[in-house]
Amino acid sequence: MATTQERIANSPEERLPPRVVAWLFGVAGSAVALFAWTVLSRLLAHGGGVINRLPGPLAVVRELVQYAGKDLAHDLLASLHVFAIGWIVGAASAALLGLVLGRAKHLGNVFLPIVEAMRPVSSIAWVPLSIVWFGFGLTSKVFLVGLAVFLVVIVYAVDGSRRVPHDLERTATMLGMNGWQRFRSVVLPGTLSEVLIGSRVALMSGWGTVIVAELVAADSGLGAHLIGVEQSYDVPAVMATMICFAVTGFAMNAAFTFAERRLLPWRHDRERQDR
Amino acid sequence: MKRPAHVVMRRILLPLVGVGCVLGFWQATLSWYRLPPIVLPSPWAVATTLAELVRTVAFWRDVGVSLFEFVCGYLIGVVLGVGLGLLMGEWRHFRMAATPVVESLRFVVPFAWIPLTILWFGTSYVGKILLVAYAVFFVMVVSTTRAVAQVEPTLSRVGTMLGMNPWRLAWQVHLRAAAPTLASAARAAAAIGWIAVVAAEYIGASAGLGLMITNAATSLTTSVVIGGMIVIGIVGAGVSAAIGALSRASLDYR
Amino acid sequence: MNVHADIPHPNPVPAGAEMERSSQRSSKEEHRGELIVDRVFHRYIAGGRQTEVLNDVSFRIDPGHVACVVGPSGCGKSTLLGLAAGLLRPSSGALRWDGVPVAIGRNPHLGMAFQQPGLFPWMSVRENVAIGLRTRGQSRRDARRVADEFLDNVGLADFKDAYPNQLSGGMAQRVGIARALALRPRLLLLDEPFAAVDAFTRLRLQQEFKALLRLDRPTVLFVTHDVPEAIALGDVIVVMTQRPAAVQRIIPVSREDRDRASPAYARKLAETLECLGVTSDIQD
Repeated sequence: MATTQERIANSPEERLPPRVVAWLFGVAGSAVALFAWTVLSRLLAHGGGVINRLPGPLAVVRELVQYAGKDLAHDLLASLHVFAIGWIVGAASAALLGLVLGRAKHLGNVFLPIVEAMRPVSSIAWVPLSIVWFGFGLTSKVFLVGLAVFLVVIVYAVDGSRRVPHDLERTATMLGMNGWQRFRSVVLPGTLSEVLIGSRVALMSGWGTVIVAELVAADSGLGAHLIGVEQSYDVPAVMATMICFAVTGFAMNAAFTFAERRLLPWRHDRERQDR
Repeated sequence: MKRPAHVVMRRILLPLVGVGCVLGFWQATLSWYRLPPIVLPSPWAVATTLAELVRTVAFWRDVGVSLFEFVCGYLIGVVLGVGLGLLMGEWRHFRMAATPVVESLRFVVPFAWIPLTILWFGTSYVGKILLVAYAVFFVMVVSTTRAVAQVEPTLSRVGTMLGMNPWRLAWQVHLRAAAPTLASAARAAAAIGWIAVVAAEYIGASAGLGLMITNAATSLTTSVVIGGMIVIGIVGAGVSAAIGALSRASLDYR
Repeated sequence: MNVHADIPHPNPVPAGAEMERSSQRSSKEEHRGELIVDRVFHRYIAGGRQTEVLNDVSFRIDPGHVACVVGPSGCGKSTLLGLAAGLLRPSSGALRWDGVPVAIGRNPHLGMAFQQPGLFPWMSVRENVAIGLRTRGQSRRDARRVADEFLDNVGLADFKDAYPNQLSGGMAQRVGIARALALRPRLLLLDEPFAAVDAFTRLRLQQEFKALLRLDRPTVLFVTHDVPEAIALGDVIVVMTQRPAAVQRIIPVSREDRDRASPAYARKLAETLECLGVTSDIQD
């Protein structure tokens, strides 16, 4: 019996392809949201209360354009710089450690539970310690981002190095591969593809950690700018900076997903499956 | 039934060995490099600091404040998140309309909202509660929408056939069927919510665990910093375990 | 004007009697317990493409009779059931019960058993059977009593407190059937209910099912791909074509045909299989 099709068949107005319909509704929904925002900002402008200043969408956009003209590129690059280094360091060390712990069963049994226990404690808990150790500079931020990425990717790396599909192992045996050959042709590619996927998942936690690190350190980057405008009570600027942060995250995610689909077309990530 | 020896060894002894290795490595590093306690206190120093902290009232007050902010925000976030997620899962047109808004807001991570909550609500608990609610809300909305959409279609048909109207179907069938998935999502949401509170307290707070740790970092009382991190981990684990136990108790039929 | 002139009836009435009946057709009483499928077309849209599923399907089931719908896989038999149950609205044409078009959504007169048992995993077997009765307004105690009764009827008396994940496929199907029967429906719809069980269980379930029907004698629309099953259970076999499905032939089944040892059975089986494009003798 048909499922979603049931409903489609029963709405004769759905002559348009489903994607267009979804898009239309989406646009309508966003318009409603923006309208509600504007109305709310007007209402609150004269009142008092807790949220004593809610700028409308236009004010935020104006602020955004202004920011783009001035320091946006500079701050953004600083943040991306921190992010990129931390991400690579974190992913690489996770790949290495994951490979070791995944293949060496006894080492894994000893140390993996510790890694597992550390995972739920986000790297953000480490911020004060990182400041004690490294101060407020780049090292501190890279450490935090790297740790965040590491904690996410390690699971993928261990999984990838352990879970070599059974038939691939047997094929390798049948072809008479020795340990090193097997490692290079079977284990390594499997692990690396998992690491790649994990690295994409880690994008958001890594990028989020960047902002926390910069909020605390407040020396450079988008986070620093955010603290700056917050301290001058410039609400539109605060919201504009938040949007910059979100858009960058979205762009990175989209770019990486696209790249992943090109590089690993056979791999259907569960995270991306939407009905 | 007595567990076979190698299972015992693998699951209990070896991890303990691992912990021992880490502690040993810790101690060795600081001894070898002769690191001062403000850089790396010894494991023993951390343990004694924790023991002292636990005896003070201030510590429990701080933990209490953070927990209070977390729990309030969590409950609000779960109720609103599951509610909206259910609505989005059931009502196709609403889902199509709301998805772009939800998806774009998802990219504004909770941490990015911290300065704004400080601007609007100061360092009071209201801002932190709303922050946690926001973080939890988004996790639950996305998970609930997805889980409801993936309910086995036959169950919906059965419900309609038995005479359930759409509201009853949504509430009694779809939500119940999605419950196991929602339970895991609730645990993930708790982890994010808890860290959001701590992060917010690092940046601007008048009380709480995060503030305690930040103060210790400023005054270079590193053993308190490390102790505080351990407490963060313990509370996080405790909350996760509590939710797990709660969901296992109510979803017993598996 | 005889509205139903073109709806195939398995036992056509001689011309004289036809005139007499037409004057009585206006009253609803005349159609009580009848399921009429009247020139039903159905199509759905998937991924921007339109697929025709049912193409001018018409037939009638007399009150208390069992109609077995057989046809090639995926020809739209399940869709037909969905339409009869009010889960779908036909693209054109009508399905009428008691002379009235089938409503979309809730239909208190019918009960349905699906291909997957569709038991609620969080409820016990008894609660699964009782929930339909509670939805229709019965008290908890009454609902439980009726549920227990029908679970006894399907032979699951010992499993009332079990949970669906503890049941085998055949047992789960029996719960689904008990659940449908407990509603005391006047129209019973079944979607290949015995398809997922092994052959021996299936034969046993068929026998039990016939006994259960004697209780209330509902009008039954039974979809199956198993032709012997259709002969065993049906008063009438509706043979469908490939998608887009239409009614190919309506084959009446009498009591003699059900005896598997009889030549009548063999003839009926051959006739039905021939309709489906299967020759009954396999050449070496």
